[in-house]
Amino acid sequence: MTTPALPKEPGALRRRLRGVLIALFLLLLYGWTLTDLSLNTKGFAQGWIITQNIFKGLFSPEWSYTGEVLLRLFESIEMAFLGTFIAAILAIPFGFWAAARKNRPYALGPLSGKWVLSAIRTFPEIILAVVFIVAVGPGAFAGILALGVHSIGMLGKLYSEAIESIDPGPIEALEAAGANKLQILWYAILPQVLPEFASFAIYRFEINVRAATVLGIVGAGGIGTPLIFALQGYAWSRVGIIMLGIIVTVTIIDGLSGYIRARLV
Amino acid sequence: MIEFRDVRKVYPNGTIGLNGINLTIHRGEFVVIVGLSGAGKSTLLRSINRMIDITQGEILIDSKSITRASGRALRHHRRDIGMIFQSFNLVKRMSVLQNVLSGRVAYHPTWRTLLGWYPRQDLEIAFDALRRVNIQEKAFERADQLSGGQQQRVAIARALAQQPKIILADEPVASLDPVTTDMIMKDLKRVNHELGITTVVNLHFVDLARAFADRIIGLRAGEVVFDGPVSLATDDVFEHIYGRALREDERKLEGMSAYGV
Repeated sequence: MTTPALPKEPGALRRRLRGVLIALFLLLLYGWTLTDLSLNTKGFAQGWIITQNIFKGLFSPEWSYTGEVLLRLFESIEMAFLGTFIAAILAIPFGFWAAARKNRPYALGPLSGKWVLSAIRTFPEIILAVVFIVAVGPGAFAGILALGVHSIGMLGKLYSEAIESIDPGPIEALEAAGANKLQILWYAILPQVLPEFASFAIYRFEINVRAATVLGIVGAGGIGTPLIFALQGYAWSRVGIIMLGIIVTVTIIDGLSGYIRARLV
Repeated sequence: MIEFRDVRKVYPNGTIGLNGINLTIHRGEFVVIVGLSGAGKSTLLRSINRMIDITQGEILIDSKSITRASGRALRHHRRDIGMIFQSFNLVKRMSVLQNVLSGRVAYHPTWRTLLGWYPRQDLEIAFDALRRVNIQEKAFERADQLSGGQQQRVAIARALAQQPKIILADEPVASLDPVTTDMIMKDLKRVNHELGITTVVNLHFVDLARAFADRIIGLRAGEVVFDGPVSLATDDVFEHIYGRALREDERKLEGMSAYGV
């Protein structure tokens, strides 16, 4: 008895060759960029010392500073909350604007909405924060505006994708029952997308808490401000307690957000 | 009464959906439309509640033309016609009761429906509808907790909540198993009997059509090729409608020997 020959996968050799070529290309690119940028490797030694100091600070934090840390952390969370809250609401019209209809994916309306949203996303929070500090002065308000505007860019995009992927059946059913546009929105579209909107907004809040801790570095309020001062003053124990505070807060918020989001959708 | 007068539908891509349809469906009739997919069954059904606009001709409901109705008049026209779909089309995250109440939206001002402030009478109508299809005990459950057959009954209840003169059912049992199919068809038939609601159903199973219809309309390539009582719809007639010999699976549904209405 002979075993029949197994069928050969067509183009297997060509695919393997392509993989090798891509790997080679990436390696070359890496080598070139590494040599092209004149990296100051002498900084390594100093960086190592600072890293050691930060770790020492983490293990001998300045406990007496805890009150101030909590206060500033709370300010960061408040900024994140307010920024996310306005963005979560303002992103709804943007989401509907940018959501393409099934039969016409390249209509100009939704396309322009997508452009606007990606234009908003182009600016990182920290750049926006600098801009808003110039506009409204340093402090938490500039931070809230920066977080809010950037979040609209991301939430608007996620919302529009949620809208695009809804089940069209209920819309058809409501239309057939004689509902008008607003009633269709209310009874067929919103019940399908609101839980997803909420889930995205909570996820964005989680990101914004992390972002808000950094914004203080440019003077936009929150925990970042004392952190940058402590770093500049080589107050390592103070850096330690601030970083501990950030780590604990971000971990708790991430856990909570994950728990709530798992129950939402 | 539903009247089709020389109705023709040509889709933008040139496909002919309906061609020279002349039909009269009387009040209280239970009509089953049969034909292969693509024969125009869905187009015919959806032209009645103007979910699809026809290209030529006229459709009259109780002697009133609905072909040119628009805005509020069109919505009121649709309100008086319940529709049932193959995929149930419920909002899965809402409760059964909310889904049924959504059949009432066209009866009230927009602001009132947005607040969800339905008069007590509407709740009575909704529960009465749920009772008619025997699913009132699920009223407060989320729609996605229900089985397919239960969801379709909720969809029937939603249509009933519209207090319609006509019910259109577009392949209502195509995604259900044989036993559930039987129950849903019986529900539709019972509602037709008890409330005298004119019912038009699209089906593609021969036996099912024979078991439940008062009258069968056969469509082929957008034209009526048979229109008559069940007693005249022989296998030969169905083969004419389908344009070929019947397959065994079209003739009989497995696991169902008799329907007994």
